[in-house]
Amino acid sequence: MKIGVILNPIAGMGGAVGLKGTDGDALERAIEMGASPRSPARIRNTFLRFFGKDIPSFSIFSCSGRMGGDILKEMGIPYTEIYVQDGSTSAQDTKQACISLLSENVDLILFCGGDGTARDIYSIVGDRIPMLGIPAGVKMYSSVFSISPNAAADVLASFLRGDCSLREAEIMDIDEDKYRVGILDRKLFGQATTPFLPNQVQAAKCAYFSESEQKSKESIARFASEFMGDGSIYILGVGSTTKAIADLIGIEKTLLGIDIVHNGALLKADANEGDIVSLLEGGARIKIIVSPLGAQGFIFGRGNHQISPKVLNRVGRDNIIVVGTPQKLQNTPNLFVDTGDSELDSVLAGHLSVVCGYRLAARKSVLTC
Amino acid sequence: MDHKKIILDENEIPKKWYNVNADLPSMIDPPLHPGTKEPITPDDLKAIFPMELIKQEASTDKYVKIPEEIMDIYKIWRPSPLIRADRLEKALKTPAKIYYKWEGVSPAGSHKPNTAIPQAYYNMKEGVERIATETGAGQWGSAISFGTAFFDMECTVYMVRASYDQKPYRKSLMQAWGAECIPSPSTRTEAGKKILKMHPNTGGSLGAAISEAVEDAAKHDNTNYSLGSVLNHVCLHQTIIGLETIEQFKKIDTYPDTVIGCVGGGSNFAGMAFPFARDKLDGSHPDVDIIGAEPMACPTLTKGLYEYDYGDAVGLVPILKMFTLGHDFMPPSIHAGGLRYHGDSPLVCKLVHDGFIRAVAYHQTEVLKSALLFGRTEGHIIAPESSHALHCAIQEALKCKETGEEKTIVFNNSGHGNFDLAAYDAYFDGSLVDYEYPEELIKQSLKQLPMKNI
Repeated sequence: MKIGVILNPIAGMGGAVGLKGTDGDALERAIEMGASPRSPARIRNTFLRFFGKDIPSFSIFSCSGRMGGDILKEMGIPYTEIYVQDGSTSAQDTKQACISLLSENVDLILFCGGDGTARDIYSIVGDRIPMLGIPAGVKMYSSVFSISPNAAADVLASFLRGDCSLREAEIMDIDEDKYRVGILDRKLFGQATTPFLPNQVQAAKCAYFSESEQKSKESIARFASEFMGDGSIYILGVGSTTKAIADLIGIEKTLLGIDIVHNGALLKADANEGDIVSLLEGGARIKIIVSPLGAQGFIFGRGNHQISPKVLNRVGRDNIIVVGTPQKLQNTPNLFVDTGDSELDSVLAGHLSVVCGYRLAARKSVLTC
Repeated sequence: MDHKKIILDENEIPKKWYNVNADLPSMIDPPLHPGTKEPITPDDLKAIFPMELIKQEASTDKYVKIPEEIMDIYKIWRPSPLIRADRLEKALKTPAKIYYKWEGVSPAGSHKPNTAIPQAYYNMKEGVERIATETGAGQWGSAISFGTAFFDMECTVYMVRASYDQKPYRKSLMQAWGAECIPSPSTRTEAGKKILKMHPNTGGSLGAAISEAVEDAAKHDNTNYSLGSVLNHVCLHQTIIGLETIEQFKKIDTYPDTVIGCVGGGSNFAGMAFPFARDKLDGSHPDVDIIGAEPMACPTLTKGLYEYDYGDAVGLVPILKMFTLGHDFMPPSIHAGGLRYHGDSPLVCKLVHDGFIRAVAYHQTEVLKSALLFGRTEGHIIAPESSHALHCAIQEALKCKETGEEKTIVFNNSGHGNFDLAAYDAYFDGSLVDYEYPEELIKQSLKQLPMKNI
């Protein structure tokens, strides 16, 4: 096995000084304000735990200096240098390093950073090889991050032993410039793959639920295709679970957008808020199918802003159907809403039945931010 | 409080099982043959069941005598104690009195041997040398292995592959009693080979294991098939539980107000409930409240439809009139594996349908929380299945706290949880998923589908 390692040495520096990220020129301001690097300590923790484990042989490929080499040398971990980084680091360095790692045919990229780093890596590797994040950034909406540096070590060891599976994980990021002036504009950039360590205790009792995430999606889609024949107009939200529904009923899904479906036919691809509102104004009976997005499991307010408070208020809570695979739900103990309309958020909060299989649902708590 | 435990003498064990079929106000709808859709005849069942059990299945005699040979073996753990859960009452600050019938004292750790022993006995009496059966989580497989061991019979248990790998100690128990435990699907049967060819790495399913066991029994002249729940004769054998309980309450001049059991296939519930249903049906105790507690993930009695449906996933066994979520419903993997059945005992269903018994459903997290409270007050760490009955008893006791009523509540504590600690682990690490049955969406979807004729 070959593991690529990328460290974003400046990730997370803005957080402590209230800068909400280190994109653009924020880094200089962060340093001026006394911020110090935090990602080297995070990746050190991961390696300390990882090398205490019984793991098969593997090799590490990494960058020079602050992007990996320094810490690997300091810890005495052998590695092959595939990218020489000089001076201050930028998104371009991360992308170049990924190109080099791809040419080495690494099996996985372990990185330490935040949403920006995840996005840069994803822009080069896509879902060709899995990526696993050690959380060190300020923004952590993407689903490729482990919950802690220690957890990353456990997942990595399991990946090397071949006893964990892969799952899809959304890459999400917000526009930092807008965020700093109070505008929260979050986007879904795509679906990466990440190693997934199912909870061992739960798995040990899952005598009948050994199916893959893909099979779970197909089961959800089969159920949805049955209840969607009720004559209502359906808004299909963002993501691969809703795509599985579209696949089954034979329509093309906009992966990063929302689509409007009626009686098995596509009414409007990549619809916006206005499209939905005009249908509502025409008196249409509308139901919304969404799945939780991102690491925290947002059902509204992350990556699906087309389904706005205006839309949600008119459609009503009873006509919202949340779908999610058991694998995904296991990783998100609670779901969240953050529509920007706090009154609406409190209406949406509470217990919700999430469709997670064929004629099957799981009760989840929905919280407001 | 006079006694913590109410214990019968061995010679006070009831000598007969009670057959509720004799007292039903209207006839139960007959099981249908899966091929002809006609009512089943004894001849249809002869290939896989002994004649005596077939007779019991259709019997309307009110009582069936327990043979001496069975009684001798019952005495290994019977009579089981009726225990006052006074420490739990104190913790709840309820004026109600809570009792539990403790079936965890059997060698296999649950109520299942109450029917495993008679099933093995009647098969042995009719010259059957070997039993083939299936087991999902391993409870029934353990009990029938224990049962056959006492009559020098061979026993082959087809255990769902995933459970076989994940619960090695259940397999060890079966082997300790001399049974053969085979992961299903196996290369032993045509059904197994066919499934393996299509899905070489499958974890198996209960449907597949049933197919293998039935095929095994049908192929071998010396072999019969055996089922651990649902059927009338299984419920009959379990009534020893409720009959003993009534005798135990007589010792303290009490008759309970509320009687509770958990419901999967329905046999442990029937065992506790039917003798009390007898007293309700004959008017001697018309007000006794009989409650079946089931998982929200598989809410057969509370959300199912009362109609004919296949008894198994693949349509091999008789079609039964029961509350059902549909034979194609695959219940999610909750920790109370023994409660994952799409239908229920037709006798239990009939009594629910006719209003003599009511049903409630709970999420597994709240159920495990109650189980922990029980463990920390009464000491026993009980099975997740039984914890549904416990949770119901606690809810009823809490209602008494509101009303000030001093009701006597009894629940069937059907088994210990020593092999179920993974459920407790999952509770501790917060990874329990509260599965539900999306009733409205299912109704909406069923409206769109052509009615599936059975």
